[in-house]
Amino acid sequence: MSIKTLEIVRKRLEERPEELREARKKGQKVVGWTGYNVPEEIIHALGFIPVRIAVGGDDRLVEVGARYASSKTCVFIREIVGAFAENEDPYIQQTDFLAFDATCLQNYRAAEVIEYFFKKDVVVLAVPRNFAEDDAKTYFVHEANEFTRLLEERAGIALDPARLAESVALYNDIRKTLKSIYTFQAAKDNVISWEEVYDLIQAGELLDKHEYLSLLHQTLAELKERHHNPVIESDDGDSRIFISGSLIPRGDRKLISIINSVGGRIVGDDLWSGILPHLDLDIKEISPAGVALGYLNRTPHAALPYLNLESDRRLKKLHELLSQSKAQGVIYHTLRYCDPFTFKAKETKNVLAKSGIPLLEIHTEYAGSDYEAMKTRVEAFVEMIRIKSESVQEEAA
Amino acid sequence: MGKKLFRYSEENKDKFLESDNITFNDGSVVTPEEIWDYLTVEGPVKYPGTYEINLSQGNRDSRDETLSTSLKTHYLSLTFSARMEKAKESGKTIAFIQGGQAVDPYTAADTIALRPFLVGQWYHGREHGNDIYKSVLRRKQSKESAFHDMSFEACQTGGYEHVQVGDLPIDVIAPYTVLRCSDVSYGVEAHRHGPNKDVKLINVDYPMRHQADKPWAIEYFAQNLRKLVKTLDEVRGKTTTEYDLLRAIKLHNEGRRLGNELADLWWSTDIPPTNSDDRNSLVALANLDMHGDVQASLSVLKEAKNIIAERVKNGVKGHAVTDNPKRLFILGSCVGINESRSEDAGAIVVGKDDQWSHCTSIVEEEGDPYYNLAKATLEYPYEQSIEKRAQWTIEQIKKSRADGVIFIHNWGCNTQAAISRPIVDFIKRETGIPTYIHERDLHGLRDEQEQNRVNAFIEML
Ligand code: SF4
Ligand code: SF4
Repeated sequence: MSIKTLEIVRKRLEERPEELREARKKGQKVVGWTGYNVPEEIIHALGFIPVRIAVGGDDRLVEVGARYASSKTCVFIREIVGAFAENEDPYIQQTDFLAFDATCLQNYRAAEVIEYFFKKDVVVLAVPRNFAEDDAKTYFVHEANEFTRLLEERAGIALDPARLAESVALYNDIRKTLKSIYTFQAAKDNVISWEEVYDLIQAGELLDKHEYLSLLHQTLAELKERHHNPVIESDDGDSRIFISGSLIPRGDRKLISIINSVGGRIVGDDLWSGILPHLDLDIKEISPAGVALGYLNRTPHAALPYLNLESDRRLKKLHELLSQSKAQGVIYHTLRYCDPFTFKAKETKNVLAKSGIPLLEIHTEYAGSDYEAMKTRVEAFVEMIRIKSESVQEEAA
Repeated sequence: MGKKLFRYSEENKDKFLESDNITFNDGSVVTPEEIWDYLTVEGPVKYPGTYEINLSQGNRDSRDETLSTSLKTHYLSLTFSARMEKAKESGKTIAFIQGGQAVDPYTAADTIALRPFLVGQWYHGREHGNDIYKSVLRRKQSKESAFHDMSFEACQTGGYEHVQVGDLPIDVIAPYTVLRCSDVSYGVEAHRHGPNKDVKLINVDYPMRHQADKPWAIEYFAQNLRKLVKTLDEVRGKTTTEYDLLRAIKLHNEGRRLGNELADLWWSTDIPPTNSDDRNSLVALANLDMHGDVQASLSVLKEAKNIIAERVKNGVKGHAVTDNPKRLFILGSCVGINESRSEDAGAIVVGKDDQWSHCTSIVEEEGDPYYNLAKATLEYPYEQSIEKRAQWTIEQIKKSRADGVIFIHNWGCNTQAAISRPIVDFIKRETGIPTYIHERDLHGLRDEQEQNRVNAFIEML
């Protein structure tokens, strides 16, 4: 398919750690952040360079992390802790301080453990569990102001509303462009794959934001040139898969490569390492409170409990994205000890079954030992979807 | 081979009959005579398992029969299920809560607050005649159903197996979502599906990270407490006033103070006045929630404090306590070591952080009771940052003059497991006391392997 800009993105990623090193020499500070509700625009507007701490797929680091956290911590967090212990990740090495949130309790625990064992300076944003209620929003606004104050202390300057407005506009443009690009991957006769878009989304977690936006614009222009009318519908013999569940960070491509290897075509996701955090972020007011509320009002992360099944916004969004992408089945990825997603697997399966959408839960970790077992299950699922879609096409003919 | 069974000996009966009555919430009273009858006649028939002498379950072949309050806590445990059924029949509201939280607002709203262990005790107590084997099997079966519906990696299932699968008439699932537990809020959410999905649900949202110093966090939690009380009021169709809450706070403060006094007395002497199990069952009364009846807990607690004071004064040593035992302080969540077997190995458990930290937070009685309660709750030592929690733990270790520390956590308990190492590391660094971290097996029974390791640690001390 080969979109040329993607080559440039890959090259720029290779150069990025060195660039960060240089920037730090000139006095700029790098903030490593993780957490679904960390308002990145505030970090950016204060002149910091934000990089997302999200690494996966390395079983050895998971083992190392378990020595500081525990073997019952989710695989993702264990790897992060392991990466801090080893301090060999080029991005982690460059962080001056960290900004974590408490959307997921395990993410919060990671902040505590990293602070304690590796003496890292961590600013934590607390996140209310009852996020949908008014008093929780009031509380979150206070927390966002406090979070901003702690960042200002570290920046040595006060947050300038004009700079915040610029950052918000920049990020809004990034989100908008990503959404447009995303449509192309799910289209018939697509010229860009979901996997490529996924990598592109994750590149944005590391690259300079202005440059990233121009690369996105360039990508979009190329796509428009190559594909004049992207219509989302099945190609013949497609097995259109949607990925949901625990995040799949950089470095972890096990499940994705298995789906590809058995002929499944991924056409959408609601992963927080994918498109989801870029959707529905509506910042109504240029202030820390306005930005933070924009984040909190998006589709909620599974770690935040929602007590009414009928009106659950996470499930509503899942339905919406499934119908947009014309996906025929969901592979629900759960990482070992990732309670927010594993607790909901069966329920999500039952809910989707009512709409005739099959769901396969793949519970895994970063070790390669379950590769063949996963492959067998994914293959059978993809095949089942293909047969189902062929029979639907035959009936329609 | 027949099972070995424990029986209370007639030798101690007369002394026991001289002890105090238990007074319940509804004003009813049970006399020592009635308690004795129950423990010696009805109890062994209904719950033979609890009379079985089975080391893996922690039962000794003898108990401290001269400690009248120990018999009373046994009585309250055995009658728990029947008392809850009766409470339901008389229209009481019953709420599912989390362990490690106080229950003042539930008491104010005339609601029985049951933590996971007690919900299980109610459910399993409905079936009579089971020996240990059958009881364990039944517990495992009902847990399996919850795992199947949620996650096999769950530790806490929010009472799902009892309320949804098991049809236990809990009116409202209303825990504090304290930081201690990774699973409880997911467990609460799970109740939105299932046969009894209309059960009322509320998360009393406990914010985290240096919250006790933040006025907006206290206000937010106070607001959550107001909502909790409003929800309980909706269920029971009555209104709880601020005055009701203040009264409940005063009552619970009395329990907390008595519990602290009892613990201090127990720690004040080199000769342990009770064994570990008895200490545990008496200190656990301080929260007044232990037996589903705050007044009953309070009356036993008052009597217990006087007995311990007397024993300390007279240098009485607790039943089955060895000479100069190694003193263990237990950290972690919702689980403890096998106390009697550890005593046999030459140790004694002198304290735990779980089920204790919240009893040390006395609530201010002047001013807005919701705000005061919220503030005291956000100050629970167990819920603080690693350093603060470890500092508090060190104070407890010093007060109890512990020789060693064991951090034990359940399989699947992510949030406690995650900080077990830093907490223990901090304590070791500051005190030099030997420490050991242990993970309870998957849905495990207290097995030999665990005891071997604990014994090795005791031996090392
Ligand atoms: S959501 Fe899951 S994978 Fe992410 S930090 Fe929480 S437990 Fe780990
Ligand atoms: S052991 Fe941990 S996960 Fe289980 S109920 Fe207790 S705090 Fe929750």
